[in-house]
Amino acid sequence: MVFFVVAVVLAVVFAFPLWFMVSSAFKAENEIMEVPIHWLPHDFQGWEQFRNAASVSPLWRYLFNSALVSSIQVAVTVFFGALAGFGFAKYRFRFHRLLFFLVISTMMIPFQILVVPLFMEIHAFGWENSYVGLIVPGMMNAFGVFMMRQYAADLPDELLEAGRVDGAGEFHMFIRIILPLLAPAMTSLGILVFIWSWGAFLWPLVVVQDRSLQVLAVGLTDYSQSYSRPPMWGAAMAASTVATLPIACLFAFFQRYFIKGLTAAAVKG
Amino acid sequence: MAFVLPVVAFFAVFNVFPVLYGLYLSLTRASLLTPPRWTGLDNFLALHSDPLFRLALGNTLVFVLGSTVPVWFASLGAALLFHQTFPGRDILKTLFFLPVLPPLVVVAVVWKVLLNPIGVMTWLVGWIWGQGEISWLYNTTLAPMVMIVVHDWAAIPFYMMIWLAGLATLSSEISEAAHIDGAGPARTFWHVELPQLRGTVVLVCALSSIGAFQTFTLQYVLSNDQGGPVNSTLVLGLLIFKQGFQFFRMGYAAALSVVLFAMILAVTLIQLKLSRRAH
Repeated sequence: MVFFVVAVVLAVVFAFPLWFMVSSAFKAENEIMEVPIHWLPHDFQGWEQFRNAASVSPLWRYLFNSALVSSIQVAVTVFFGALAGFGFAKYRFRFHRLLFFLVISTMMIPFQILVVPLFMEIHAFGWENSYVGLIVPGMMNAFGVFMMRQYAADLPDELLEAGRVDGAGEFHMFIRIILPLLAPAMTSLGILVFIWSWGAFLWPLVVVQDRSLQVLAVGLTDYSQSYSRPPMWGAAMAASTVATLPIACLFAFFQRYFIKGLTAAAVKG
Repeated sequence: MAFVLPVVAFFAVFNVFPVLYGLYLSLTRASLLTPPRWTGLDNFLALHSDPLFRLALGNTLVFVLGSTVPVWFASLGAALLFHQTFPGRDILKTLFFLPVLPPLVVVAVVWKVLLNPIGVMTWLVGWIWGQGEISWLYNTTLAPMVMIVVHDWAAIPFYMMIWLAGLATLSSEISEAAHIDGAGPARTFWHVELPQLRGTVVLVCALSSIGAFQTFTLQYVLSNDQGGPVNSTLVLGLLIFKQGFQFFRMGYAAALSVVLFAMILAVTLIQLKLSRRAH
């Protein structure tokens, strides 16, 4: 009973700000700040605040850009992560250990350290302020390679030998035999990479100047940090709700993979 | 070999090269318009006597302290709670876990509304202190504390999940044996279960401190005027951004990055060493 009461208090305290966000997205501007707070909007606004948000900033364009960037980064990271993880797990070649160490050691590099020189590099490539500059540097992930190697190493070698006897090429074998077996781990990794990619803030902030190329995470600050007009809290809450929804959906539909992805490092590391 | 080549090439170009280039940049005077000019250790000497750097360093250390130790204990406590069985546990755990979902920018924007001087948080606290207006984000003492509390709100559920994954691996037989030998729940946890969770302990400590050193988004979005008031929430991550992308002093920003990297590396190595010794 004590456990139950404490858990209820914790749940309320931690869930409250998100309830506030969603309910405020449907409130009129002056109702948001009203205290005692209205748990539900008294003057229900429908989609008005979402329309407001889209009228002062290209909200739907931001959403499209985020979706584009995240989906490419997830697809590339997961596929090449599995490929390299499999390669490191099942083959021996020159500099095998050195190369694996090189890849893994990049996990230790905080992004803050990279941001200045990486920006100079992208600038030199002429990729500044473009989708390419936005997407490419986040297209691979050392943790993904590490995680996939752990899972691929657990696969029995007999699978590969059987495939070779049947005369399948190595890459063909990877696609036909290994990928399906790695699918659950790839799903977890994909969700993890999506969360990182969707929330990425610093890199889009520095590499993109055009609003038409900007992602949602950076675009959200339009509503709270404008110097030319008063902040629009209703629009900010509506846009925040939009930005949270994809991750909330992933959580709702893939809860098991979601938790597994987040805790993969704990179990596999 | 061909399987790992694309990945290795990618990391060489977009990770290893920038790190080395950053080291070189830190020894130069550079902007986007002029090519880097070698200046030796000038940036680091300038850093040494830069009051803004000292301020940012202090602010960062305070933030790191506030967003590690309390998070470790609170998230472990929450995990132990949700590890028990009681009615409605799963739904309450899900509600508690919700702050993990929104991107950090969303967290910052939502809290910015909640922390309006006459807003919801003031109203809640007003019950206790009877204040009508609290300038959460416009006060040099309160603002850094607010950054920590908001960070911890989002971080505690995340680390709880990691603790829970660790707790799930515990062998119940060993705990039962300890119980039969007359150990109470607290002693069983401290002497029997926690040592089995060594890997989780190291992971939680390392992830949280590495993350805290790099903090940027909260201070950029939530604080008043990006690091204010009067630079009270200016952290190293924000200073690197400002020097590099607002003042275009790329060399100086690179030098700041090197210092931050050294600090993170030192903390990581200390934690690795401590975890080895615990073996």
